[in-house]
Amino acid sequence: MAPLARLATIALFAASGGGARAADLPLEYAVKASYLYKFAPFVQWPSTAFDSPTAPLTICIAGQDPFGGALAGAVRGQHVNGHPITVRRIETVRPGIGCQILYVGGDDVGPALQAVSHEPTLTVTDHNRSGTGGMIQFVMVSGRVRFSIDQAAAQSSGIAISSKLLGLAVSVNR
Amino acid sequence: MNPRRALSRLMSAIAETPAIGIAIACLLLIASLGLAYHNEGQARAEKLRDIGVQARVLAASLAGPLAFDDQAAIHEYIDALRASPEFNAVGAYDEDGKLVAGFSRTGEALPRRNRVAPPVVQDDEVIVTSPVVQNGTRLGSVYVGAATESWSRRAARYLGIAIVVVMACLLVAVLTAFYASVSAANRRLQAEIAGREEAEEALRQAQKMEAMGQLTGGVAHDFNNLLMVASSGMELLDRTTDPVRRERLKDGIRQAIERGAKLTQQLLTFARRSPLSPEVVEVGRRIRALQDLLERSLREDVKVEFEFGEGLWPIEVDPSQFDVAILNIAINARDAMPDGGCIRIAAHNYPAGGDVRRDMVRLSIRDDGGGIAPEMMDKVFEPFFTTKSVGTGTGLGLSQVYGFVRSSGGEVKIDSAVGRGTTVFLFFPRSSHAVPAADIAPEPVHHADHDATVLVAEDDEHVAELVTEMLRELGYKSKRGANAAEALRLLEETGPFDMVLSDMIMPGKMNGLELAQEVVRREPAMPVVLMTGYSNAAVTAAAEGFPLLLKPYTIEALGAVLDQALR
Repeated sequence: MAPLARLATIALFAASGGGARAADLPLEYAVKASYLYKFAPFVQWPSTAFDSPTAPLTICIAGQDPFGGALAGAVRGQHVNGHPITVRRIETVRPGIGCQILYVGGDDVGPALQAVSHEPTLTVTDHNRSGTGGMIQFVMVSGRVRFSIDQAAAQSSGIAISSKLLGLAVSVNR
Repeated sequence: MNPRRALSRLMSAIAETPAIGIAIACLLLIASLGLAYHNEGQARAEKLRDIGVQARVLAASLAGPLAFDDQAAIHEYIDALRASPEFNAVGAYDEDGKLVAGFSRTGEALPRRNRVAPPVVQDDEVIVTSPVVQNGTRLGSVYVGAATESWSRRAARYLGIAIVVVMACLLVAVLTAFYASVSAANRRLQAEIAGREEAEEALRQAQKMEAMGQLTGGVAHDFNNLLMVASSGMELLDRTTDPVRRERLKDGIRQAIERGAKLTQQLLTFARRSPLSPEVVEVGRRIRALQDLLERSLREDVKVEFEFGEGLWPIEVDPSQFDVAILNIAINARDAMPDGGCIRIAAHNYPAGGDVRRDMVRLSIRDDGGGIAPEMMDKVFEPFFTTKSVGTGTGLGLSQVYGFVRSSGGEVKIDSAVGRGTTVFLFFPRSSHAVPAADIAPEPVHHADHDATVLVAEDDEHVAELVTEMLRELGYKSKRGANAAEALRLLEETGPFDMVLSDMIMPGKMNGLELAQEVVRREPAMPVVLMTGYSNAAVTAAAEGFPLLLKPYTIEALGAVLDQALR
């Protein structure tokens, strides 16, 4: 496990007074939004995941959407390996929807994850108590956004995650 | 001027100036400066490459930490670089170009915003920027400022090499200067050698003259005796009628004249100025011929004995130098025996083996005089070294002996002990040539009556009268012309003649040799005999192939030569 435990964020006002709490959530999700597309350079999809070398890399948001328009704004003009990044809102996750990254918001993530379990889709969820989560799960440690990685799940979907990213994770399920 | 000579003079002029060496030294200096500049450029390029690689490594390492804002990791990576004094400033910037973390050692703050640009070299610093890219996505950038070597450190690094190069240049310059001076010295030495050779030639001549001087005393004394014998003999002849006494007186006069003639002949040969011209001679015969000269140059109380081995090998030496050498040694021997004594001259063959490597003839001259002190032994051959009092010796005698024997390929050894006399050994290499026949057998004299007419050309009345008388005695008829022109006229008008006998030196436009040539031109079959008292003229005549009579000559010699010429 990498020692780089304390994931820094743009300052979270976790220790601040109650008045600041209302602003906490958007800030947390702004960080998450930025992470969401920054995972892409550290992830290697199988070649079947893209139709062409210039086909867009699609980040799909399913379930509860905490980002609003922030994510779409953040990815505008960004490219990963020649693939422009696009954001799609998905109501119902079904197999074959063609998402390279799928964020499932809320606690009930099981059906959505199940739907893409055989597809080369990097699944990302928030940490929840049910124990069911995506390949990458956001966790809050000391008021900072961090993540844990389920490398075994990613590998079974044909997705390789760079050691650089694994090194930053709170925990890795190999 | 001869172009080859001009070239060689140019070459020696170049060799004698240090300019080339200085030019080489300068070239060397320039070349090393050029090399240093080139190396400097390469080192700088290498440095840039090196820092660029470091920046890229840092950028790759910072990809994750920058993307996910892991300050701890960023600091860890940057602190790792802080350990090296090479890095002046290192900064990590996020994707918007804003400074995330970094340090600066120079006191100058890191730029607040980073812009990725090609490497910059300013003063003592290299600044390299590199983007942080992961899979084509730009996540930030790094800034690396590294110190290049300072001027003082670079100078220190080059100082050692610079010293070596400068020393090498100095060495080259000094060597060439040295070579130039050696060349000049060599040229002077060559000139001096040439001068020395001339001086040696002059010395040889002087040595001959020295021996001559030694001789002259004895010879003049001897001549007076001979003249005394002749003149008093003549007077007595007039006063006596007793045939037996008259015969005895005539014998005495004839002997005196013969000895005188022989002496002058030897003196003439002796005085001949000539370079070393080796001839094949037989030592015993040569020394026996010297006997008269030797006896005259020694004193009455000094006896000379000879002992020559059988079948002596011929040797090749300059005869007149050989004579001088023998005389010099004999005179030294004489002076070593103030109370008289005996000089033994011996010659033996000395075959190769033992202390000589080839066949030699060993000539030894032994006296029973005072001997040479051991401390003098080393010096006796030095020129101008003499133990004789001022005015009696010049110190050139033995040095002539030494020089002559060495130049004839031989060796000189001296065996001497105080009170036991001195023996000088001369070794001469055996010659492979035979002694020329003329040196061996004198022509037999023929007495015969002739009915031949001889045209005599002789300017001296008395000599002419005597020659006419001798010719009549030999049975020849003769006519005399007082010079060449008259002789030619007689040849035209009163002939025929069977032979022409001419003196070589005569007044008038034509000398004897020219007369002889003219006669032969007109009458090729006419025999011509030349006579002269000058050895130089004799050489010329011999070169022209005319038979020659050396004055003074006996009636037998005249008869023999004419007889030979008429055949």
